[in-house]
Amino acid sequence: MTVPVADPAPARMSLNRALVPALLLGPTLLWIFFFFLWPLGLMVWQSFIVKDAFSLDHYASLFTTPIYARALWTTFEISIICTVGSLILGYPVAYYLVVGDARIRAVVMILVIIPYWLDYIVRSFSWLILFGRRGLVNRFLIDIGLITEPLQLLYNLGSVLVGMIQIMLPLMILTLFGAMLRINRQLVAAAEIHGASPWRAFWSVFFPLSLPGVYAAFLLVFIISLGFYITPALLGSPKETMISQIIMLVATELFDWPLASAAGVLLLAVTIAVVIAYNRAFSIERLWGGKEA
Amino acid sequence: MSVRVGRLAIPTGTLLVLLYLLFPVVVVVLISFSSARFLSFPPPGYSIQWYAKLLSDPDWLNSLAITLQVGALTTVFSTLLGVPAAFALSRYGIPGRSFVTALILASLITPTIIKGLSLYLFYVPLGLVNTIWGLAAAHTVSGLPYVVINTIASLRSADRDLERAAVIHGASPLWAVVRITLPIIAPGIMVGAVFAFIQSVHELLVALFVLGGVEKPLAVKLWAGVRSEVDPTIAAVSTGLIGMAVLAYACAGVAQLLSKRRGLPAAGP
Repeated sequence: MTVPVADPAPARMSLNRALVPALLLGPTLLWIFFFFLWPLGLMVWQSFIVKDAFSLDHYASLFTTPIYARALWTTFEISIICTVGSLILGYPVAYYLVVGDARIRAVVMILVIIPYWLDYIVRSFSWLILFGRRGLVNRFLIDIGLITEPLQLLYNLGSVLVGMIQIMLPLMILTLFGAMLRINRQLVAAAEIHGASPWRAFWSVFFPLSLPGVYAAFLLVFIISLGFYITPALLGSPKETMISQIIMLVATELFDWPLASAAGVLLLAVTIAVVIAYNRAFSIERLWGGKEA
Repeated sequence: MSVRVGRLAIPTGTLLVLLYLLFPVVVVVLISFSSARFLSFPPPGYSIQWYAKLLSDPDWLNSLAITLQVGALTTVFSTLLGVPAAFALSRYGIPGRSFVTALILASLITPTIIKGLSLYLFYVPLGLVNTIWGLAAAHTVSGLPYVVINTIASLRSADRDLERAAVIHGASPLWAVVRITLPIIAPGIMVGAVFAFIQSVHELLVALFVLGGVEKPLAVKLWAGVRSEVDPTIAAVSTGLIGMAVLAYACAGVAQLLSKRRGLPAAGP
């Protein structure tokens, strides 16, 4: 009589199949837990505590103190204008990168990527030199006799946007480009063969097909714009104060950590809400697909 | 008519946008070689005095040393953690795989001020504030996505049959990965590692919270300088940072070129 003996090999195999990925992935997940999620949790916790008891006071003061409420609105406003601006300027460039002359295209690509490599501080700082009272722009306008007194070009909404759009453009262009590459351009050719003008073929074929890429790029640039600190701090006036500056101010100058945490939670919540809304409408995977340039 | 206008409009628009993108970079580089003591553009004459001043200033050199230490630790941590994670994600059926991926990538879209503030709250009781290790641990979270994305992309297009062949011929599975697969995907890993390094060098807000005291990294000292000093030293530091980035990306570019021959894409910041 033979007793069926379980073959030990498959059991060991399946244990390996579970153990190996856990060992490979475990350290990364622990790291992210300790240096990302746990601190975030701590911040959320702090934001609800007033004198050792649960309270929504910090949130109430965020919404009722005029300068905080104003900063929330300003952040939203600046981010939207910046995203729309970089979309309008970036779309033609991304389109050129797809359809333009091959040799020129490679050069354009490199010239778009180079500023992408550089520090936000470095890129914001040059506008101080160009737009200053004795800067290049003012001297030029005086030389050609258009003005006699230097204009105040810095420390306003315009200078903040010029700085921010310059910073966000490469990301916008590369994300749009990644999506446009996946468009089957024979469809555009087909429209033209059937009598559509190039203009018409673009608007009724290429443009609608590029919309998923537009949404992905819009989302990415908008979310990153929400957290801007360096550019508004350097090129803006108090009127252009964004939420990141408020958090920095409240934390490091007023030392009101719970209030700063509440503002942080609010910014985090808005970011997550935008991502979730996007994920509902499209697929988030597309976003990372779009980032692979 | 409108077709011709359209055909001209796109290249012209592209050219204008490129000028807008590159102008600030050119300005900073030229001013760093200025002979004048103030920030005027174009400079009245050229000299290397601001670089000489920088290199003889122990404060700036100390900041450079701190930045390089934090950057190096960040790169090592991100690579050691990210490469195995990428293997797990691309080769095993992980439950909740897209959730895990999202968790790893989440740091990319989290506003940096939030990372800075929350890490500060976490670090104060642990005594990790004002430590190089503390900042490197934080920067690793932001460096990981680059290593993971690039390694997964390389793994996806690497030919796994070579590894299988090694195993059939008697190599242990681990040895086959180390000797066959790792060399094949090394350029992709390197691209990710360079991105991890550069984001650490550039990162300001977490650094302000975690390492803003006596030992300042370059970004923190540059930020303080931009807001107070008005001589071209700042431009020289900026140009130095540009040089550092270009050098690092040139390395990544060579690696990418090597991997492109094998048809691998790369993802970066």
